[in-house]
Amino acid sequence: MNVTFKDILLFTHAGFGVLAILAALWVFKDALDASEANAARTRKAAFFVTLLMCVSWICGGYWYVHFYPGDKAMILKGPWPFAHTLFMETKEHLFFIPLILSFYLPILTREKLFSNATARKMTLCVAMLIVLSGLAIEGAGSVIGYGVRVALLHPETKVIHQ
Amino acid sequence: MNSDDPNQLGRTSAAFGWAAVVAVLFNSALTCAKDAFKPLNSLMASLTGHHWTTHGLAAIAVFFGLGLLLSKLVPAGKVPSGHLAGILTGAVIVAGLGLVGWFFLF
Repeated sequence: MNVTFKDILLFTHAGFGVLAILAALWVFKDALDASEANAARTRKAAFFVTLLMCVSWICGGYWYVHFYPGDKAMILKGPWPFAHTLFMETKEHLFFIPLILSFYLPILTREKLFSNATARKMTLCVAMLIVLSGLAIEGAGSVIGYGVRVALLHPETKVIHQ
Repeated sequence: MNSDDPNQLGRTSAAFGWAAVVAVLFNSALTCAKDAFKPLNSLMASLTGHHWTTHGLAAIAVFFGLGLLLSKLVPAGKVPSGHLAGILTGAVIVAGLGLVGWFFLF
């Protein structure tokens, strides 16, 4: 088995991203069901969204800055250059949207969601936007990974890799 | 912090909600600007070592800076929040599709 620091970073990035999406879904469910009894739990879940998203940001950012250039060169030489030019370029900048929303969520859940319909509606919107944009980003990540894979099988990039 | 009016967000939530609207749109605008104008990309890269790092820090700074500014400077009850959920959703859709469209077309 040969698991490198690069691999750990990449899977931590993706894994914590998924966990942040699940935590946002938890906030969405709690906001739908808002009551005095679950208010503290909702705040904790919102805090976890921020925390998990930040870990995903830092790990993904470190990987992107230090390790991605090699993969990028391979993708661009391979049969799926759009995995970088469209998917990675969009993903790396789209990521900041759920990140900003994840910073906003704990601020929002300090409101009394069980008695304030506007705050509840806003929380539902923000949590769902994190879930949907997060899923889009996870999907883009898989296309980028596949872009590397098909590039490795491509005769021209096979030579570069060896 | 909390609003007594059940149809309004508290001052901090409303202020940071508007800050989020501006920050997500700023994020997409900065992406297009640095992609179209390479000296800006180089300047951003020179600040932290990578344009993406500077970009992320700038987007977060806009969110927290504007949110804090609005929540401190605008009097309580004066930060409108009635349609903020719809406006934020619209901003995220425009910003997200704007990014996809930019990298698809250019």
